[in-house]
Amino acid sequence: MPKIQEILKGAAAIAKGMSVTIQEMMNPIITDDYPDAPPVFQERYRGLHVLQRDDNGLEKCVACFLCSAACPVQCIYIEAADNTEQERISGGERYAAVYNIDYSRCIFCGYCVEACPTDAITHGHGFELASFNTSTLIYRKEQLLAPLPEGATGKVKLDHPVAVGDGGH
Amino acid sequence: MANMVTLTIDGKPVTVPAGTLVIDAAKQAGIDIPAFCYYEGFSVQAACRMCLVEVEKMPKLQPSCALPAAEGMVVHTETPKVVEARKSTIEFLLTNHPLDCPVCDKGGECELQDMTFRYGLGESQFLEIKHHADEKQWSPLVFYDPARCILCYRCIRVCDEGLGVAALGLSYRGVSAEIIPNKGDHLECDECGWCIDVCPVGALTSGTYRYKSRPWEMNYVPAICTHCSNGCKTTLSVRNGEIIRSNNRDRSGINGEFLCVKGRFGFDFVHNEERLQSPLIRKDGKLEPVSWSEALKFVVSRVRETIERNGKFAVIGSTRTTNEENFYLQKFARQGLRTNNIDHHRSGDVITLVDALAGRTDALATVGDLYTCDAALVLGADLAQQHPLLAYQLRANWRHHRSPVFVVTPGPVREDQYAARSLRAEAGGEVERLEELREELKARQNLVVLYGASVKGEAVRRLVAFGDSLGIPVKYVCLVDYVNSRGAVDMGLLPHLGPGYKPVEIPGMHLDAMMAAPDLDVIWVAGANPLEGGREFASKNAFVIVHELFLTETAQRADVVLPSMSLYEKNGTVTNVCGEVQRTKAGPKVMGTKSDLDILGLLAAQLGFDIGIPSQEKVLDEIRRTVRGYNVPLPVLATGGAAQAAVLNGNVPVDAQPEQVRPSGDTLFTSGTLGKYSKRLAQLMEAPGRLFQP
Repeated sequence: MPKIQEILKGAAAIAKGMSVTIQEMMNPIITDDYPDAPPVFQERYRGLHVLQRDDNGLEKCVACFLCSAACPVQCIYIEAADNTEQERISGGERYAAVYNIDYSRCIFCGYCVEACPTDAITHGHGFELASFNTSTLIYRKEQLLAPLPEGATGKVKLDHPVAVGDGGH
Repeated sequence: MANMVTLTIDGKPVTVPAGTLVIDAAKQAGIDIPAFCYYEGFSVQAACRMCLVEVEKMPKLQPSCALPAAEGMVVHTETPKVVEARKSTIEFLLTNHPLDCPVCDKGGECELQDMTFRYGLGESQFLEIKHHADEKQWSPLVFYDPARCILCYRCIRVCDEGLGVAALGLSYRGVSAEIIPNKGDHLECDECGWCIDVCPVGALTSGTYRYKSRPWEMNYVPAICTHCSNGCKTTLSVRNGEIIRSNNRDRSGINGEFLCVKGRFGFDFVHNEERLQSPLIRKDGKLEPVSWSEALKFVVSRVRETIERNGKFAVIGSTRTTNEENFYLQKFARQGLRTNNIDHHRSGDVITLVDALAGRTDALATVGDLYTCDAALVLGADLAQQHPLLAYQLRANWRHHRSPVFVVTPGPVREDQYAARSLRAEAGGEVERLEELREELKARQNLVVLYGASVKGEAVRRLVAFGDSLGIPVKYVCLVDYVNSRGAVDMGLLPHLGPGYKPVEIPGMHLDAMMAAPDLDVIWVAGANPLEGGREFASKNAFVIVHELFLTETAQRADVVLPSMSLYEKNGTVTNVCGEVQRTKAGPKVMGTKSDLDILGLLAAQLGFDIGIPSQEKVLDEIRRTVRGYNVPLPVLATGGAAQAAVLNGNVPVDAQPEQVRPSGDTLFTSGTLGKYSKRLAQLMEAPGRLFQP
């Protein structure tokens, strides 16, 4: 008698477990097929940074160093330089001649993005940062910059400098 | 003692001399009243309305920068009414001020930014488009952005009152008002750049620092300016081993905020691409770069061989190295190389003065004395050209205390502008004309006498005798030209005097004798350029060792060149023209160079000379213990202060060799070898020596 009871108990447990499995089989799949298929990100995912450009293709970054000041792990290194009339790199009076982010230190907290007064630095969705060599984890400006918009050269001669926040209240 | 008044500020009783401004009285009580136009030491403007305070029994808010403290006054500095007024003031100041803080050089150390954070509203009631005017470049060093200017007049006042140059003024009216340079579109002035430093906003920016960095990104290093002998403290802003700017906003040091063009902008020689970064050895007639170990080994073998065959050495020291290095160098020469043939470029007759004043105390003036003395007498020196800090101090003394300045010089000088009397005399004949000033000088309570290189030898003794005959306390300053000229004399870089003016038993050759001696075997030049202007060593076959920053005329003649550090790159103490000892700290780094102390220390170790450990602290300790007058208090040095070395306490029974005194002939825009390698100084329209005469 105890043996039959044991079998019935086992069958009930299996049925209970299988009911969960069958129920989940009916639901849509939520895991990704990465790396066979590209992963899907939420809009606000904080991945590899992107340095944005404006509509003319000029860099938005004016090398104000606020991102580097806000950074809790000091992973951003900047060298500023002066835009000249012959070669205009950014919309403001100055631009970042050197802009490095050390991804062996970055914790993807997003403070730099919050600090940026010109919306120049944003988090992209890049995430494949793994490397066998830590020295490749220091990304230079050229690696971080957004691609040029169609038809733009990224070097525009303007009549006067665009002042940041001019007229803003 | 002046009349004292007692007033109450924010509930604290404060007692100050009558006539003190409320803003200063508050500062004394530890209460900070914000102000843009008010600047300590300059005339009252009362233009910004930021320092408004509430005073009981006065109907309206009062500007505390223009309100003298009165007995029984009750002042409140942070009442709701005051805060409201300051908020409105900020709002008005920001009417046309662009909000471009992210690109503005002042961002992070801007007084307007700070005050906006403290009082300002996040929003403005003004919706109109801001008035804009384009940025202008006034000189290679000064940029002006009228849009950012809040018209506080600080720049105008420091230039006019502080320096007597008056290169800035105000033009146009109302919203279009802006600061205008004296030549309409460009500046012609001393290029000191003080206007940039005092600007409370980013309207005046520096051509050298412009868009390079931000205030919080740099390290601040307290150094002593390496150019002239005045010994101004300058705070170097260093990033990644490079000097980005140099100023003294914290007013530490003997110069307060004052710096001349060389101190504020002349640091770029440090990073000149012609800096030597590896030792050079002459191989087949050409100087070839070699490693440090090879160069040192080469020097050691030649020096050892010369010592063994009793060869003749000559050592020429530097006027730009630290006291520790000078002391170690003379020890290296006297105890190591066993020679008294050691000298340096002397630019003032200090020895005769020390001898003439023997036995007195308190007869040497400090930089501070120039501001507090009752009268000053300048003999044979163009202070504004060669001693800008001393000129500034005398002018400030005249401005604040109406202390007269008497000038006896060969030609017109800037001090003539306000001098009580200006006399002209041939160089060397200045002392002869002093009788004409006797009555006026006698009437003063005390006097400071500053004399240049043309007064030397017997003339110095006659000058001291004249000073004694006046019957008032007289203090003296012997003007010398380089940053550590005075230290070189005190540390005994002299053929007949050791450290602390102690005569040596067998005097060696002085500089001219070394140049003319035909039989020297080794000539050691530690940071000097005796071959400047085509001169030559008479010893054609001498082995020449040179410590240098650049390939100067002397370095080109050398057999071994060892790349040394400039004063900005090392720790140590220097002695200024008034004998004040100050500490300087290492800021930037230039790869491949070594300090003269390290070079001598390494060589001493390899040569087996037992002359002490070549560490700056150890050598300073020895100097303090053994050199007369140099037992200066360490806490003063450590906290960035200046301590005067008391070198006067005995006769100096030697020939002062006044013929060896030669002025450098530098102007406000030149600085010997260093100036030649400063591109910024060279590109100024005023360079090399035209002084703007307003």
